[in-house]
Amino acid sequence: MRKQKVTIKSFVIMIISVLLALVMLLPVVWALFCSLQQEGKQITTIWDWFLPPYTLMNYPDVLMGTSTLRWFINSLAVAVISTVLSVIISTMAAYAIAKIPFKGSKWVYTFFLFGLLVPGEATIIPMFILVHNLNLINTFSGLVLPSIAGSMNLLIAVSFFRGIPTALMEAVRIDGGSELTIYRKIALPLSKPIIATISIMCFIGSWNNYLWPLLCIFDEAKYTLPIGIPTLLSVERPDVVIPMTVNMVASIPMIIVYLIFEKQIVQGISMEGIKG
Amino acid sequence: MNKRQIRATITAWVFILPFFILFTIFTVYPIIQGVWVSLNKWNLMGKQNFVGLENYKKLFTDDAFVGSLWHTIQFVLMCTPVLVILPLIMALFANRPVKYKRFLRISYYLPGVLSVSVISFIAKYTFAPYRGLVNGILRFFDVINTKSEILWFESTGRSWAVVVIMTIWWTVGFPMLLYLSALQDIPQETLDAAEVDGASGMQQLFQIKLPLLKPTILLVLMLQIIACFKVFGQIYMTTGGGPANTTRPLVMYIYQQAFNKNKLGYSAAMSYILFAILVVCTLLQFKLQKGEDEN
Repeated sequence: MRKQKVTIKSFVIMIISVLLALVMLLPVVWALFCSLQQEGKQITTIWDWFLPPYTLMNYPDVLMGTSTLRWFINSLAVAVISTVLSVIISTMAAYAIAKIPFKGSKWVYTFFLFGLLVPGEATIIPMFILVHNLNLINTFSGLVLPSIAGSMNLLIAVSFFRGIPTALMEAVRIDGGSELTIYRKIALPLSKPIIATISIMCFIGSWNNYLWPLLCIFDEAKYTLPIGIPTLLSVERPDVVIPMTVNMVASIPMIIVYLIFEKQIVQGISMEGIKG
Repeated sequence: MNKRQIRATITAWVFILPFFILFTIFTVYPIIQGVWVSLNKWNLMGKQNFVGLENYKKLFTDDAFVGSLWHTIQFVLMCTPVLVILPLIMALFANRPVKYKRFLRISYYLPGVLSVSVISFIAKYTFAPYRGLVNGILRFFDVINTKSEILWFESTGRSWAVVVIMTIWWTVGFPMLLYLSALQDIPQETLDAAEVDGASGMQQLFQIKLPLLKPTILLVLMLQIIACFKVFGQIYMTTGGGPANTTRPLVMYIYQQAFNKNKLGYSAAMSYILFAILVVCTLLQFKLQKGEDEN
Protein backbone atom coordinates (compact mmCIF):
# COMPACT_ATOMS: atom_id res chain seq x y z
CA MET A 1 0.00 0.00 0.00
CA ARG A 2 2.68 2.46 1.06
CA LYS A 3 4.79 1.58 -1.94
CA GLN A 4 1.88 2.39 -4.24
CA LYS A 5 1.38 5.79 -2.62
CA VAL A 6 5.04 6.70 -2.95
CA THR A 7 4.95 5.88 -6.64
CA ILE A 8 1.94 8.08 -7.30
CA LYS A 9 3.51 10.87 -5.31
CA SER A 10 6.81 10.68 -7.14
CA PHE A 11 4.93 10.54 -10.45
CA VAL A 12 3.11 13.77 -9.59
CA ILE A 13 6.38 15.39 -8.53
CA MET A 14 7.95 14.24 -11.77
CA ILE A 15 5.18 15.81 -13.83
CA ILE A 16 5.34 19.11 -11.93
CA SER A 17 9.11 19.35 -11.99
CA VAL A 18 9.34 18.58 -15.71
CA LEU A 19 6.48 20.98 -16.53
CA LEU A 20 8.26 23.68 -14.58
CA ALA A 21 11.43 23.01 -16.57
CA LEU A 22 9.50 23.24 -19.84
CA VAL A 23 7.91 26.53 -18.78
CA MET A 24 11.41 27.87 -18.05
CA LEU A 25 12.61 26.75 -21.47
CA LEU A 26 9.52 27.73 -23.44
CA PRO A 27 10.31 31.41 -24.15
CA VAL A 28 13.84 30.51 -25.30
CA VAL A 29 12.58 27.62 -27.44
CA TRP A 30 9.91 29.89 -28.88
CA ALA A 31 12.53 32.52 -29.73
CA LEU A 32 14.63 29.82 -31.40
CA PHE A 33 11.71 28.57 -33.52
CA CYS A 34 10.72 32.13 -34.45
CA SER A 35 14.23 32.69 -35.76
CA LEU A 36 13.83 29.65 -38.02
CA GLN A 37 10.60 30.88 -39.65
CA GLN A 38 10.28 32.73 -42.89
CA GLU A 39 9.48 36.40 -42.45
CA GLY A 40 5.84 37.17 -43.05
CA LYS A 41 4.51 33.70 -42.26
CA GLN A 42 0.81 33.59 -41.37
CA ILE A 43 0.33 32.81 -37.69
CA THR A 44 -3.18 31.70 -36.76
CA THR A 45 -2.60 29.44 -33.76
CA ILE A 46 0.44 29.07 -31.53
CA TRP A 47 1.41 25.83 -33.28
CA ASP A 48 2.26 27.76 -36.43
CA TRP A 49 5.31 29.15 -34.63
CA PHE A 50 6.77 25.73 -34.14
CA LEU A 51 5.88 24.01 -37.43
CA PRO A 52 8.00 23.84 -40.62
CA PRO A 53 8.96 25.04 -43.19
CA TYR A 54 12.13 26.22 -41.50
CA THR A 55 14.85 28.39 -42.90
CA LEU A 56 18.33 29.31 -41.70
CA MET A 57 18.51 32.34 -43.98
CA ASN A 58 17.62 34.80 -41.18
CA TYR A 59 21.01 34.20 -39.60
CA PRO A 60 23.15 35.35 -42.55
CA ASP A 61 20.68 38.23 -42.98
CA VAL A 62 21.23 39.38 -39.42
CA LEU A 63 24.98 38.78 -39.44
CA MET A 64 25.57 40.55 -42.76
CA GLY A 65 22.75 43.09 -42.87
CA THR A 66 23.11 44.57 -39.39
CA SER A 67 25.94 45.51 -37.04
CA THR A 68 25.22 42.47 -34.89
CA LEU A 69 28.43 40.68 -35.89
CA ARG A 70 30.51 43.72 -35.07
CA TRP A 71 28.84 44.08 -31.63
CA PHE A 72 29.36 40.39 -31.12
CA ILE A 73 33.10 40.79 -31.70
CA ASN A 74 33.19 43.87 -29.43
CA SER A 75 31.42 41.97 -26.66
CA LEU A 76 33.75 39.03 -27.05
CA ALA A 77 36.87 41.23 -27.02
CA VAL A 78 35.73 43.17 -23.95
CA ALA A 79 34.71 40.00 -22.12
CA VAL A 80 37.96 38.16 -22.88
CA ILE A 81 40.20 41.11 -21.98
CA SER A 82 38.25 41.82 -18.76
CA THR A 83 38.40 38.17 -17.76
CA VAL A 84 42.12 37.71 -18.43
CA LEU A 85 43.11 40.95 -16.71
CA SER A 86 40.82 40.37 -13.76
CA VAL A 87 42.11 36.83 -13.21
CA ILE A 88 45.75 37.97 -13.39
CA ILE A 89 45.55 40.99 -11.09
CA SER A 90 43.09 39.40 -8.67
CA THR A 91 45.02 36.16 -8.20
CA MET A 92 48.35 38.01 -7.90
CA ALA A 93 47.02 40.24 -5.15
CA ALA A 94 45.20 37.30 -3.56
CA TYR A 95 48.40 35.24 -3.56
CA ALA A 96 50.32 38.00 -1.78
CA ILE A 97 47.58 38.46 0.82
CA ALA A 98 47.14 34.75 1.48
CA LYS A 99 50.67 33.40 1.16
CA ILE A 100 53.32 36.09 1.65
CA PRO A 101 53.63 36.99 5.33
CA PHE A 102 54.05 40.76 5.43
CA LYS A 103 53.12 43.68 7.63
CA GLY A 104 49.76 45.18 6.73
CA SER A 105 48.31 42.19 4.92
CA LYS A 106 45.31 42.17 7.25
CA TRP A 107 44.76 45.85 6.63
CA VAL A 108 44.84 45.44 2.86
CA TYR A 109 42.44 42.50 3.04
CA THR A 110 39.94 44.49 5.10
CA PHE A 111 40.25 47.40 2.66
CA PHE A 112 39.35 45.08 -0.23
CA LEU A 113 36.55 43.51 1.81
CA PHE A 114 34.81 46.88 1.87
CA GLY A 115 34.57 46.59 -1.90
CA LEU A 116 31.71 44.13 -1.44
CA LEU A 117 29.66 46.91 0.11
CA VAL A 118 29.85 49.12 -2.96
CA PRO A 119 26.96 48.58 -5.36
CA GLY A 120 27.94 49.61 -8.90
CA GLU A 121 24.46 51.00 -9.55
CA ALA A 122 24.85 53.57 -6.79
CA THR A 123 28.09 55.08 -8.05
CA ILE A 124 27.32 55.46 -11.75
CA ILE A 125 27.29 59.27 -11.63
CA PRO A 126 30.75 59.78 -10.10
CA MET A 127 32.04 56.85 -12.17
CA PHE A 128 30.86 58.56 -15.32
CA ILE A 129 32.49 61.84 -14.31
CA LEU A 130 35.74 60.03 -13.41
CA VAL A 131 35.93 58.06 -16.65
CA HIS A 132 35.01 61.22 -18.56
CA ASN A 133 37.84 63.14 -16.88
CA LEU A 134 40.26 60.34 -17.71
CA ASN A 135 39.20 60.72 -21.36
CA LEU A 136 38.07 57.11 -21.43
CA ILE A 137 34.43 57.64 -22.34
CA ASN A 138 33.59 55.84 -25.56
CA THR A 139 36.68 53.60 -25.32
CA PHE A 140 37.03 49.91 -24.52
CA SER A 141 39.42 50.80 -21.68
CA GLY A 142 36.59 52.79 -20.17
CA LEU A 143 34.47 49.65 -20.28
CA VAL A 144 37.09 47.24 -19.01
CA LEU A 145 38.88 49.09 -16.19
CA PRO A 146 35.88 49.74 -13.89
CA SER A 147 34.65 46.19 -14.42
CA ILE A 148 37.88 44.57 -13.21
CA ALA A 149 38.21 46.77 -10.13
CA GLY A 150 35.66 44.81 -8.07
CA SER A 151 36.96 42.70 -5.22
CA MET A 152 34.72 39.62 -5.47
CA ASN A 153 37.20 37.56 -7.55
CA LEU A 154 40.06 38.54 -5.29
CA LEU A 155 38.21 37.51 -2.13
CA ILE A 156 37.23 34.15 -3.63
CA ALA A 157 40.88 33.57 -4.64
CA VAL A 158 42.17 34.56 -1.19
CA SER A 159 39.95 32.06 0.55
CA PHE A 160 41.10 29.38 -1.90
CA PHE A 161 44.82 30.16 -1.58
CA ARG A 162 44.53 30.09 2.21
CA GLY A 163 43.50 26.45 1.89
CA ILE A 164 46.65 25.45 -0.03
CA PRO A 165 49.31 23.91 2.24
CA THR A 166 52.28 26.21 2.75
CA ALA A 167 54.93 23.49 3.09
CA LEU A 168 55.67 23.17 -0.60
CA MET A 169 55.96 26.94 -1.01
CA GLU A 170 58.30 27.20 1.99
CA ALA A 171 60.54 24.55 0.42
CA VAL A 172 60.83 26.53 -2.80
CA ARG A 173 61.45 29.72 -0.82
CA ILE A 174 64.31 28.08 1.11
CA ASP A 175 65.81 26.87 -2.16
CA GLY A 176 65.91 30.50 -3.20
CA GLY A 177 62.92 30.49 -5.53
CA SER A 178 61.29 33.87 -6.01
CA GLU A 179 57.67 34.61 -5.10
CA LEU A 180 56.91 34.99 -8.78
CA THR A 181 58.13 31.45 -9.39
CA ILE A 182 56.00 30.11 -6.55
CA TYR A 183 52.97 32.02 -7.80
CA ARG A 184 53.40 30.79 -11.38
CA LYS A 185 54.70 27.27 -10.78
CA ILE A 186 52.78 26.26 -7.64
CA ALA A 187 49.88 28.52 -6.72
CA LEU A 188 48.37 28.92 -10.20
CA PRO A 189 48.56 25.26 -11.30
CA LEU A 190 47.01 24.19 -7.99
CA SER A 191 44.14 26.61 -8.41
CA LYS A 192 43.04 25.68 -11.93
CA PRO A 193 39.47 24.81 -10.87
CA ILE A 194 39.01 28.09 -9.02
CA ILE A 195 40.48 30.06 -11.91
CA ALA A 196 38.13 28.33 -14.33
CA THR A 197 35.21 29.24 -12.09
CA ILE A 198 36.25 32.87 -11.65
CA SER A 199 36.86 33.19 -15.39
CA ILE A 200 33.45 31.87 -16.39
CA MET A 201 31.63 34.11 -13.92
CA CYS A 202 33.68 37.09 -15.03
CA PHE A 203 33.05 36.32 -18.70
CA ILE A 204 29.29 35.97 -18.25
CA GLY A 205 29.20 39.13 -16.13
CA SER A 206 31.01 41.14 -18.76
CA TRP A 207 29.06 39.65 -21.67
CA ASN A 208 25.77 40.62 -20.02
CA ASN A 209 26.81 43.97 -18.57
CA TYR A 210 24.22 46.57 -19.52
CA LEU A 211 24.11 49.73 -17.41
CA TRP A 212 27.76 50.77 -17.64
CA PRO A 213 28.21 50.23 -21.40
CA LEU A 214 24.96 52.16 -21.88
CA LEU A 215 26.58 55.17 -20.20
CA CYS A 216 30.12 54.72 -21.40
CA ILE A 217 29.74 53.99 -25.14
CA PHE A 218 27.83 56.19 -27.57
CA ASP A 219 29.54 55.31 -30.82
CA GLU A 220 27.48 52.66 -32.59
CA ALA A 221 30.57 50.91 -33.94
CA LYS A 222 31.80 50.37 -30.38
CA TYR A 223 28.53 49.03 -28.92
CA THR A 224 28.50 45.71 -27.15
CA LEU A 225 25.62 43.33 -27.83
CA PRO A 226 23.46 44.23 -24.80
CA ILE A 227 23.27 47.89 -25.83
CA GLY A 228 23.28 47.19 -29.55
CA ILE A 229 20.34 44.78 -29.54
CA PRO A 230 17.73 47.29 -28.30
CA THR A 231 18.60 49.74 -31.10
CA LEU A 232 17.64 47.06 -33.61
CA LEU A 233 14.48 46.02 -31.87
CA SER A 234 13.01 49.20 -30.45
CA VAL A 235 11.67 50.16 -33.86
CA GLU A 236 8.15 48.76 -33.93
CA ARG A 237 8.52 45.89 -36.35
CA PRO A 238 5.54 44.05 -37.76
CA ASP A 239 7.38 40.75 -37.53
CA VAL A 240 9.21 39.01 -34.72
CA VAL A 241 11.39 36.83 -36.96
CA ILE A 242 14.39 39.12 -37.38
CA PRO A 243 14.35 40.41 -33.75
CA MET A 244 14.27 36.84 -32.47
CA THR A 245 17.17 35.94 -34.76
CA VAL A 246 19.12 38.84 -33.26
CA ASN A 247 18.27 37.52 -29.79
CA MET A 248 19.44 34.05 -30.71
CA VAL A 249 22.70 35.28 -32.25
CA ALA A 250 23.41 37.01 -28.95
CA SER A 251 22.33 34.01 -26.85
CA ILE A 252 23.50 30.86 -28.60
CA PRO A 253 27.21 31.39 -27.71
CA MET A 254 26.22 31.96 -24.08
CA ILE A 255 24.03 28.88 -24.02
CA ILE A 256 26.86 26.78 -25.46
CA VAL A 257 29.34 28.19 -22.92
CA TYR A 258 26.79 27.39 -20.23
CA LEU A 259 26.23 23.81 -21.36
CA ILE A 260 29.98 23.14 -21.55
CA PHE A 261 30.95 24.84 -18.28
CA GLU A 262 27.82 24.08 -16.30
CA LYS A 263 29.85 22.52 -13.48
CA GLN A 264 32.11 25.56 -13.06
CA ILE A 265 29.12 27.91 -13.13
CA VAL A 266 27.33 25.97 -10.42
CA GLN A 267 30.52 26.02 -8.36
CA GLY A 268 31.04 29.74 -8.96
CA ILE A 269 27.55 30.59 -7.81
CA SER A 270 27.83 28.60 -4.61
CA MET A 271 31.11 30.40 -3.86
CA GLU A 272 29.67 33.84 -4.49
CA GLY A 273 26.88 32.84 -2.17
CA ILE A 274 29.31 31.99 0.59
CA LYS A 275 31.25 35.23 0.09
CA GLY A 276 28.00 37.15 -0.21
CA MET B 1 62.01 44.52 10.57
CA ASN B 2 64.86 42.45 9.29
CA LYS B 3 66.02 42.28 5.71
CA ARG B 4 63.91 39.28 4.87
CA GLN B 5 60.73 40.89 6.15
CA ILE B 6 61.41 44.06 4.19
CA ARG B 7 61.96 41.99 1.07
CA ALA B 8 58.71 40.08 1.65
CA THR B 9 56.78 43.30 2.18
CA ILE B 10 58.13 44.83 -1.01
CA THR B 11 57.42 41.68 -3.04
CA ALA B 12 53.91 41.46 -1.60
CA TRP B 13 53.16 45.05 -2.56
CA VAL B 14 54.45 44.52 -6.08
CA PHE B 15 51.91 41.68 -6.37
CA ILE B 16 49.10 43.71 -4.84
CA LEU B 17 49.77 47.03 -6.52
CA PRO B 18 48.03 46.57 -9.92
CA PHE B 19 44.76 45.55 -8.29
CA PHE B 20 45.20 48.04 -5.45
CA ILE B 21 45.54 50.96 -7.87
CA LEU B 22 42.51 49.97 -9.96
CA PHE B 23 40.43 49.26 -6.85
CA THR B 24 41.32 52.63 -5.34
CA ILE B 25 40.63 54.58 -8.52
CA PHE B 26 37.51 52.80 -9.79
CA THR B 27 35.83 51.47 -6.67
CA VAL B 28 36.82 53.68 -3.72
CA TYR B 29 37.39 57.08 -5.32
CA PRO B 30 33.92 57.33 -6.97
CA ILE B 31 32.25 56.92 -3.56
CA ILE B 32 34.11 59.94 -2.21
CA GLN B 33 33.90 61.97 -5.41
CA GLY B 34 30.14 61.28 -5.47
CA VAL B 35 29.64 63.05 -2.13
CA TRP B 36 31.27 66.18 -3.55
CA VAL B 37 29.23 65.94 -6.78
CA SER B 38 26.01 65.63 -4.77
CA LEU B 39 26.75 68.90 -2.98
CA ASN B 40 27.02 70.79 -6.25
CA LYS B 41 24.99 71.76 -9.24
CA TRP B 42 26.78 69.69 -11.82
CA ASN B 43 26.09 69.01 -15.49
CA LEU B 44 27.70 66.92 -18.17
CA MET B 45 30.10 69.77 -18.97
CA GLY B 46 31.37 69.84 -15.37
CA LYS B 47 30.76 71.57 -12.04
CA GLN B 48 28.63 74.69 -11.97
CA ASN B 49 28.41 75.77 -8.36
CA PHE B 50 28.33 74.64 -4.77
CA VAL B 51 24.82 74.36 -3.33
CA GLY B 52 25.43 72.51 -0.07
CA LEU B 53 22.61 70.19 0.98
CA GLU B 54 20.18 71.72 -1.50
CA ASN B 55 20.03 68.56 -3.67
CA TYR B 56 19.18 66.43 -0.66
CA LYS B 57 16.46 68.81 0.52
CA LYS B 58 14.91 68.79 -2.94
CA LEU B 59 14.63 64.97 -2.85
CA PHE B 60 11.88 64.88 -0.30
CA THR B 61 9.65 67.31 -2.15
CA ASP B 62 10.22 65.65 -5.53
CA ASP B 63 7.14 63.50 -6.14
CA ALA B 64 8.86 61.67 -9.00
CA PHE B 65 11.70 60.64 -6.69
CA VAL B 66 9.39 59.51 -3.90
CA GLY B 67 7.28 57.74 -6.53
CA SER B 68 10.20 55.89 -8.07
CA LEU B 69 11.46 54.88 -4.64
CA TRP B 70 7.99 53.57 -3.84
CA HIS B 71 7.84 51.65 -7.15
CA THR B 72 11.18 50.07 -6.34
CA ILE B 73 9.88 49.01 -2.93
CA GLN B 74 6.73 47.60 -4.58
CA PHE B 75 8.96 45.64 -6.96
CA VAL B 76 11.02 44.30 -4.04
CA LEU B 77 7.85 43.27 -2.19
CA MET B 78 6.38 41.52 -5.22
CA CYS B 79 9.49 39.65 -6.36
CA THR B 80 11.31 38.71 -3.18
CA PRO B 81 8.82 36.24 -1.65
CA VAL B 82 8.57 34.29 -4.90
CA LEU B 83 12.33 34.43 -5.42
CA VAL B 84 12.88 32.94 -1.97
CA ILE B 85 10.30 30.15 -2.13
CA LEU B 86 10.12 29.06 -5.79
CA PRO B 87 13.87 28.35 -6.18
CA LEU B 88 13.74 26.30 -2.98
CA ILE B 89 11.03 24.11 -4.52
CA MET B 90 13.03 23.87 -7.73
CA ALA B 91 16.17 22.89 -5.81
CA LEU B 92 14.24 20.16 -3.98
CA PHE B 93 13.03 18.86 -7.36
CA ALA B 94 16.49 18.97 -8.91
CA ASN B 95 18.05 17.31 -5.88
CA ARG B 96 15.93 14.15 -6.14
CA PRO B 97 17.79 11.04 -7.24
CA VAL B 98 16.27 10.79 -10.71
CA LYS B 99 17.83 10.32 -14.11
CA TYR B 100 16.65 13.66 -15.47
CA LYS B 101 17.94 15.79 -12.59
CA ARG B 102 20.67 17.35 -14.76
CA PHE B 103 17.98 18.34 -17.26
CA LEU B 104 15.99 20.01 -14.48
CA ARG B 105 19.02 21.86 -13.12
CA ILE B 106 20.05 23.08 -16.58
CA SER B 107 16.55 24.20 -17.57
CA TYR B 108 15.88 26.02 -14.31
CA TYR B 109 19.07 28.04 -14.63
CA LEU B 110 19.20 28.51 -18.41
CA PRO B 111 17.38 31.88 -18.62
CA GLY B 112 19.94 33.20 -16.12
CA VAL B 113 22.77 33.16 -18.65
CA LEU B 114 20.91 35.36 -21.12
CA SER B 115 21.63 39.05 -21.26
CA VAL B 116 19.13 41.53 -19.85
CA SER B 117 18.53 42.96 -23.33
CA VAL B 118 17.69 39.55 -24.75
CA ILE B 119 15.30 38.60 -21.96
CA SER B 120 13.66 42.03 -22.13
CA PHE B 121 12.91 41.69 -25.82
CA ILE B 122 11.89 38.07 -25.55
CA ALA B 123 9.46 39.22 -22.84
CA LYS B 124 8.27 42.14 -24.92
CA TYR B 125 7.43 39.89 -27.85
CA THR B 126 6.08 37.14 -25.60
CA PHE B 127 3.54 39.54 -24.13
CA ALA B 128 2.88 41.44 -27.35
CA PRO B 129 -0.69 41.57 -28.69
CA TYR B 130 -1.70 39.74 -31.91
CA ARG B 131 1.41 37.61 -32.40
CA GLY B 132 2.64 37.24 -28.83
CA LEU B 133 3.09 33.86 -27.23
CA VAL B 134 1.15 34.52 -24.03
CA ASN B 135 -1.99 35.81 -25.73
CA GLY B 136 -1.69 32.91 -28.17
CA ILE B 137 -1.59 30.39 -25.34
CA LEU B 138 -4.48 32.09 -23.51
CA ARG B 139 -6.51 32.01 -26.70
CA PHE B 140 -5.61 28.35 -27.23
CA PHE B 141 -6.97 27.44 -23.82
CA ASP B 142 -10.03 29.68 -24.35
CA VAL B 143 -9.11 31.95 -21.47
CA ILE B 144 -9.67 34.89 -23.81
CA ASN B 145 -11.80 34.66 -26.92
CA THR B 146 -10.42 34.41 -30.42
CA LYS B 147 -10.78 38.01 -31.43
CA SER B 148 -9.76 39.77 -28.23
CA GLU B 149 -6.31 40.84 -27.17
CA ILE B 150 -4.87 41.58 -23.76
CA LEU B 151 -2.77 44.73 -24.01
CA TRP B 152 -0.20 43.90 -21.37
CA PHE B 153 1.64 47.20 -21.40
CA GLU B 154 -1.41 49.46 -21.23
CA SER B 155 -2.22 49.21 -17.52
CA THR B 156 -0.03 49.60 -14.46
CA GLY B 157 -1.13 46.31 -12.94
CA ARG B 158 -0.48 44.25 -16.05
CA SER B 159 2.84 46.04 -16.69
CA TRP B 160 3.95 45.09 -13.20
CA ALA B 161 2.81 41.53 -13.85
CA VAL B 162 4.99 41.34 -16.96
CA VAL B 163 8.00 42.85 -15.21
CA VAL B 164 7.68 40.62 -12.15
CA ILE B 165 7.09 37.44 -14.16
CA MET B 166 10.04 38.07 -16.47
CA THR B 167 12.32 38.98 -13.57
CA ILE B 168 11.40 35.80 -11.72
CA TRP B 169 11.86 33.73 -14.87
CA TRP B 170 15.25 35.31 -15.53
CA THR B 171 16.73 35.30 -12.02
CA VAL B 172 15.21 32.28 -10.24
CA GLY B 173 18.11 30.01 -11.29
CA PHE B 174 20.71 31.75 -9.17
CA PRO B 175 19.04 31.18 -5.77
CA MET B 176 18.04 27.70 -6.98
CA LEU B 177 21.73 26.82 -7.35
CA LEU B 178 22.51 28.29 -3.92
CA TYR B 179 19.83 26.08 -2.36
CA LEU B 180 20.97 23.09 -4.36
CA SER B 181 24.55 23.33 -3.14
CA ALA B 182 23.28 23.72 0.44
CA LEU B 183 21.03 20.67 0.01
CA GLN B 184 23.95 18.64 -1.28
CA ASP B 185 25.94 19.56 1.84
CA ILE B 186 23.39 17.81 4.05
CA PRO B 187 25.05 14.50 4.96
CA GLN B 188 23.25 11.52 3.44
CA GLU B 189 23.62 9.58 6.73
CA THR B 190 21.39 12.12 8.49
CA LEU B 191 18.63 11.54 5.97
CA ASP B 192 19.16 7.78 5.95
CA ALA B 193 18.90 7.68 9.73
CA ALA B 194 15.63 9.61 9.57
CA GLU B 195 14.38 7.24 6.88
CA VAL B 196 15.15 4.23 9.08
CA ASP B 197 13.32 5.89 11.96
CA GLY B 198 10.29 6.04 9.69
CA ALA B 199 10.25 9.78 8.95
CA SER B 200 8.18 10.50 5.87
CA GLY B 201 9.40 12.70 3.04
CA MET B 202 7.46 15.66 4.41
CA GLN B 203 8.81 15.13 7.92
CA GLN B 204 12.36 14.95 6.57
CA LEU B 205 11.75 18.19 4.69
CA PHE B 206 10.31 20.18 7.57
CA GLN B 207 12.31 18.74 10.45
CA ILE B 208 15.73 18.19 8.87
CA LYS B 209 16.20 19.93 5.55
CA LEU B 210 14.51 23.27 6.22
CA PRO B 211 16.19 23.89 9.60
CA LEU B 212 19.57 23.06 8.02
CA LEU B 213 18.78 25.38 5.10
CA LYS B 214 17.89 28.33 7.32
CA PRO B 215 21.18 30.19 6.74
CA THR B 216 20.81 29.77 2.99
CA ILE B 217 17.20 30.96 3.07
CA LEU B 218 18.27 34.10 4.94
CA LEU B 219 21.15 34.63 2.51
CA VAL B 220 18.86 34.27 -0.51
CA LEU B 221 16.34 36.63 1.08
CA MET B 222 18.94 39.37 1.55
CA LEU B 223 20.59 38.84 -1.85
CA GLN B 224 17.21 39.07 -3.58
CA ILE B 225 16.22 42.23 -1.73
CA ILE B 226 19.53 43.81 -2.72
CA ALA B 227 19.22 42.67 -6.34
CA CYS B 228 15.62 43.91 -6.61
CA PHE B 229 16.53 47.37 -5.30
CA LYS B 230 19.00 47.68 -8.19
CA VAL B 231 16.40 46.86 -10.86
CA PHE B 232 16.80 48.88 -14.04
CA GLY B 233 17.46 47.20 -17.40
CA GLN B 234 14.44 44.95 -17.81
CA ILE B 235 12.00 47.70 -16.82
CA TYR B 236 13.76 50.34 -18.92
CA MET B 237 13.55 48.09 -21.98
CA THR B 238 10.04 46.67 -21.60
CA THR B 239 7.62 49.12 -19.99
CA GLY B 240 10.02 52.05 -20.18
CA GLY B 241 8.73 52.91 -16.71
CA GLY B 242 5.24 53.36 -18.12
CA PRO B 243 2.35 53.69 -18.34
CA ALA B 244 2.79 57.29 -17.15
CA ASN B 245 5.92 56.46 -15.09
CA THR B 246 3.96 54.19 -12.76
CA THR B 247 6.54 51.40 -13.02
CA ARG B 248 9.64 53.58 -13.08
CA PRO B 249 12.21 52.35 -10.54
CA LEU B 250 14.79 54.44 -8.70
CA VAL B 251 17.83 53.59 -10.83
CA MET B 252 15.90 54.55 -13.95
CA TYR B 253 14.94 57.93 -12.49
CA ILE B 254 18.57 58.52 -11.47
CA TYR B 255 19.66 57.63 -15.00
CA GLN B 256 17.09 59.93 -16.62
CA GLN B 257 17.80 62.89 -14.35
CA ALA B 258 21.52 62.57 -15.00
CA PHE B 259 21.72 61.81 -18.68
CA ASN B 260 18.50 63.22 -20.10
CA LYS B 261 17.98 66.17 -17.77
CA ASN B 262 21.67 66.85 -17.25
CA LYS B 263 21.35 67.07 -13.44
CA LEU B 264 24.35 65.04 -12.28
CA GLY B 265 24.53 66.62 -8.83
CA TYR B 266 20.91 65.86 -8.06
CA SER B 267 21.26 62.30 -9.40
CA ALA B 268 24.34 61.74 -7.27
CA ALA B 269 22.33 62.79 -4.21
CA MET B 270 19.60 60.29 -5.14
CA SER B 271 22.24 57.60 -5.63
CA TYR B 272 23.29 57.99 -2.01
CA ILE B 273 19.78 57.16 -0.83
CA LEU B 274 20.04 53.93 -2.83
CA PHE B 275 23.57 53.43 -1.55
CA ALA B 276 22.42 53.79 2.05
CA ILE B 277 19.59 51.27 1.56
CA LEU B 278 21.93 48.76 -0.08
CA VAL B 279 24.69 49.15 2.51
CA VAL B 280 22.19 48.56 5.32
CA CYS B 281 20.92 45.43 3.53
CA THR B 282 24.44 44.14 2.90
CA LEU B 283 25.55 44.73 6.50
CA LEU B 284 22.40 42.99 7.71
CA GLN B 285 23.24 40.08 5.43
CA PHE B 286 26.83 39.88 6.79
CA LYS B 287 25.46 39.99 10.32
CA LEU B 288 22.95 37.23 9.64
CA GLN B 289 25.66 35.08 8.06
CA LYS B 290 28.02 35.70 10.95
CA GLY B 291 25.29 34.93 13.49
CA GLU B 292 24.56 31.67 11.69
CA ASP B 293 28.24 30.73 11.54
CA GLU B 294 28.55 31.13 15.28
CA ASN B 295 25.54 28.96 16.04
